[in-house]
Amino acid sequence: MADSSRWAPYREKMQEQLSQIQLREIHQELTAGKNLKAYTADKIAKIAIGECCIGDSRHIGVCTVFPLETYWLPLYVSLWDEQEKEITLLVDVAPTVDSLIDEPFRIKYLESIQPLWEKFASLPGIVPFEDDGVRRVCSIIYTAAVVPIEREGMRLAALAPHTEYLNSYIEFVKDAPAADGEAKVKEIRRKIAAVKSEYRSYLQRAYGGGFHEDMINVLF
Amino acid sequence: MARVDYKDMIKFTEEAIVKSKLLEGLDLVPLETYDGMDTRSAWEFKTPMASGFYKPYTLKGSTKIEKITYGELHYMRRAIYSTINFTASDDYDLPVFSVEFDESATRIGATVDFMPLVDLSLHPEYQEKYLSPLADLWRKYRTIPGLTKEGRCLVQRRYGPWAWARETMSPFSLDGRIEEPEDRIKIIDAIIGYARVWLDLLKKAEPVKDPVYKQEMLNRKKVMQKVYRDRDPGGEVIKKIFGDEKHHLFVSIIF
Repeated sequence: MADSSRWAPYREKMQEQLSQIQLREIHQELTAGKNLKAYTADKIAKIAIGECCIGDSRHIGVCTVFPLETYWLPLYVSLWDEQEKEITLLVDVAPTVDSLIDEPFRIKYLESIQPLWEKFASLPGIVPFEDDGVRRVCSIIYTAAVVPIEREGMRLAALAPHTEYLNSYIEFVKDAPAADGEAKVKEIRRKIAAVKSEYRSYLQRAYGGGFHEDMINVLF
Repeated sequence: MARVDYKDMIKFTEEAIVKSKLLEGLDLVPLETYDGMDTRSAWEFKTPMASGFYKPYTLKGSTKIEKITYGELHYMRRAIYSTINFTASDDYDLPVFSVEFDESATRIGATVDFMPLVDLSLHPEYQEKYLSPLADLWRKYRTIPGLTKEGRCLVQRRYGPWAWARETMSPFSLDGRIEEPEDRIKIIDAIIGYARVWLDLLKKAEPVKDPVYKQEMLNRKKVMQKVYRDRDPGGEVIKKIFGDEKHHLFVSIIF
């Protein structure tokens, strides 16, 4: 698709949601000259959003939000891989604890996203995310699909889970409590590190040189 | 959508266990006592509303197995709720092989999985060792009509209303609803395939040595067993038919 104006406005729509938060830009030495931005915010260690094109045929977008490990908050991941005829997507609000064991966490953050998870089950092309490693770190309410683009409106329809999950996440941040004690902080730290590691590895597996290492490190 | 009469429903144990010779070569010994309960009243039961059996076993001369259970509950000649559960003993971290196979006139609701005993995001090596052998089977059988419908693959959504149950599932669970009579039997092949992988893993299993890891694993295992025994909606039916005491016994040997 040589005419890049036909790509979905991934970054613009995500940035609109992020504008609800007071953002402070970081990592400018790594993001300069790239379609990549990183920020910090109250209770948030890092928000990153980036996009790139691979040739004329593929438009990739990634957005992540990682909380400070001292807060009892999930994390947010959005992957967007757009081609002329289909869009492969993944969006998740993933736990930073074992959400089988920590039931209050599951109820507050995952079960409250469940209505969105159910709503987007009707999205054409809904499917478990294909990568086995990534599915391992996904929550019980992740949405993934390979959406066939049968008409142009489908591009915006495929964006909706990303913006709606992100909007819910931003609501969580507002009243997020501090993590309860050093053991919980340690658990959150361990989990965030494991999730970041898996996604870094995935981007390398999936796109090879399509993503510069600096870009991957800013995003995850 | 075609309906299936009770008399034509799949004979689950016959198909999944007997004809497949799934447990052939294993020296099974009836497990008469489980968690301090006498299990014998579960081996065969009959009431005006329900009949069936849950047969729990262990392996003669082996410390690897907590229980190998299979069973069927026939409800008012309208539905058959069948199950398999393979659980390793506490010294081993093998995932729990769990099958629910609920057939009614209109459909089968099935779940087949290796439920992991650790948080997989923290233990990628666990997935590699115990779950990755399922990858090809998962990709093959998730296309069964019903699990995939109109270009949408709906596995891992059967437990939609029960978030706690989805928390126990692996990235390779197969679950969903299969309606057409000719498609129903296909999930039996998936169950047998998964079971054979588990039994192969059992042969190679070594006891867990790291005490910290073992504690983490056992903690998750006990939470998992407790939530199923306390909350499984099928358990409510069992409670109504058989009362609290037998309910506790039945769900304990099923989960």
